[in-house]
Amino acid sequence: MKKAPSRGLLLVGRIDEMRTNTLWIFVFIGPALILLLIFLIIPIFASLYLSLTDFNVFALTDWSRAKFVGFRNFYELFQDELFWKALFNTFYCLIVAMPVTVTLSLLNAVLLNREQTRFKNFFKICFFLPFVTNTVAIAIVWSWILNPSYGILNWFLGLFGIKGPNWLGDPKWAMPSIIMLVVWKAVGYNTLLLLAGLQSIPDFLYEAAELDGATSWQKFWYITLPMLRPTMLFITTMMIIGYLQLFEEPYMLTQGGPLNSTLSVVLYLYRQGFKFFKLGYASSIAVVLFLMIAALTLLRLKLSKQD
Amino acid sequence: MRKALIALLVLVAVFAFSERVLQIWAMGEEAKNLHIMAEKFMKENPGVKVEIQAIPWSAAYDKILTGIAGMQLPDLAQMGTTWMAPFGAMGVFEELSPYLEKSFINKDMFFEGSWQTVTMNGGVYGIPWYVDVRVMFYRTDVLKEVGYDHAPQTWEELYDVAKKLAQRGEGMYGLSLLYTGVFGNEFMPFVWQAGGRLFDDKGNVRVTDPEFVEAIKYYARFFWEKLAPIGGGNLFQDFASGKVPIFFSGPWMVSMIKQQIPQIEGKWSVALMPKNKARTSFVGGCNWVIFNTSKNKDLAWKFIEFMTRPENQLEWYKIVSSLPAVKEVWNYPELANDPIMRVFGEQLKDAKSPPNIPEWEEIANAISRRVEEVIYKKRTPESAAEALKKDIERIRKR
Repeated sequence: MKKAPSRGLLLVGRIDEMRTNTLWIFVFIGPALILLLIFLIIPIFASLYLSLTDFNVFALTDWSRAKFVGFRNFYELFQDELFWKALFNTFYCLIVAMPVTVTLSLLNAVLLNREQTRFKNFFKICFFLPFVTNTVAIAIVWSWILNPSYGILNWFLGLFGIKGPNWLGDPKWAMPSIIMLVVWKAVGYNTLLLLAGLQSIPDFLYEAAELDGATSWQKFWYITLPMLRPTMLFITTMMIIGYLQLFEEPYMLTQGGPLNSTLSVVLYLYRQGFKFFKLGYASSIAVVLFLMIAALTLLRLKLSKQD
Repeated sequence: MRKALIALLVLVAVFAFSERVLQIWAMGEEAKNLHIMAEKFMKENPGVKVEIQAIPWSAAYDKILTGIAGMQLPDLAQMGTTWMAPFGAMGVFEELSPYLEKSFINKDMFFEGSWQTVTMNGGVYGIPWYVDVRVMFYRTDVLKEVGYDHAPQTWEELYDVAKKLAQRGEGMYGLSLLYTGVFGNEFMPFVWQAGGRLFDDKGNVRVTDPEFVEAIKYYARFFWEKLAPIGGGNLFQDFASGKVPIFFSGPWMVSMIKQQIPQIEGKWSVALMPKNKARTSFVGGCNWVIFNTSKNKDLAWKFIEFMTRPENQLEWYKIVSSLPAVKEVWNYPELANDPIMRVFGEQLKDAKSPPNIPEWEEIANAISRRVEEVIYKKRTPESAAEALKKDIERIRKR
């Protein structure tokens, strides 16, 4: 009986404590939250709204000139030949680049993880360098490498008697060239992530498998790959998000050409929004892209849960 | 005594703060050297301080755009001619007709094509500073090898010499033309030379006229017959080796050739655009604009007048060798006696700029896309013109 009031008091004290805690929580995360709100949340909703207006060059200094047009931008977008072309190109990049990146990164990671491999750190740095190098600088160097008459790549192919194609000038080869660059840039980062994943696989699994007489191929297939699943989930999800936003490489190397064969969705968005100042139309592209990325990411997560 | 002291202090303070500051945004080489002219201006106008903010060309477009969006603009800026329309449409440039009435500056001082770039919807929104015009660069020695002791003068001659040059062997070409990206400014001269146009006076799209189609055909044929290279190469290396002995470009190329490939000194020259019905070229360059947010508009105008004075235009030419926009300066011996400059001066008399409308960038994209489709044989010139007409009408509808 005597304990009841003290329990009540304790509760009151708790709530008080919680109140001050929440206050402090907001004091500490408040600045970050406000920044997030100003630079991320508000723009997202602004862009959602913009996609329903005809915001253009004349509205930039006087917002009242932008008219609400409902879903007209989307209606026009789905009839826009170039948008479909850009969509096709972007998925072309994703579908080719993703498996290639995963395979190469896995290969690199497994090789780096072997005990026999020497100069591990040196190779790690080599693989990682493209990822931390400025894309603009990379693109300039690659435009030299890919130069059909003076480039080192076609010179190299020439040593084997192969006449290299006109990499960036041929509509058939321009996208593969871009993919080459994209993959080369992404492999280092993913290699390191996979390497971390490999190192977290406990040795006893392999030892047990060896006792059972498993071949190294079986070990890879039945231990390494399943144990890497969380890492794989992470890198493939990030790849979907990253590759669908393909922009810098075609922007620097081809500006979308030739024949719009390297025009990506984000490049098209940039062109509409910041070259033609059709920010309403550009926002509708952004909304479609966002929905696509969200849908594909959810699909990827769902697939992994089914396993 | 004390009151007098305070009064004196106030007076000093007023004088100290009465120094007027003129803020200027400038780009590239101009920004690096403009202080020379600014110092001269400050000497002429005591109590004025000129502040020049240098912006690299690559960042200039975004910088101006964000400046407009946030209304954080200088008094005065250097403005590329092709940027006049989009930024002008945002309504940030001061209309200059009232200033012109009381000034020695008038439109007849400038080249017609250059003045075209400062006028929009009947108003004047800038004053030309310097111009650039595209001419033909060619290798005199290489052309001599195939029997041309002069630059090709007409469309027929250009085609003929290109064909002969390409026949020199594998990997040899006649000339270099742009085939991808946005090349509206490079392609339009051919349309003008053929007597074609984008719009008539009533604003109807005229790209399906036979003259326009002829220009597409002429341009694309150089690629179909492998007289112009698709992709690759390096303009300077190919020009030096003679692989590609003809190209079209602006005045900046003169000093770049001298710096990068000095070994061909004396073996190259410049010439006027080839003639079909006319020899029209593209004129660009930079104008001065005053932002209507400025609180020093009269001072900004004073600076424009200062930069437009022929003796200062000449001095500026000597500093960065960009082409003077004021016609009179071209009669001065420094320019008139220079064989290369003479060609540029001559070409300026027949040079146009694309229509000064905010949709130009989008139209230039459409033109490039359709011409590219012809170059890669995805369309005939006629069907490309039809498609282009629809594109432009759709763009203008909005």
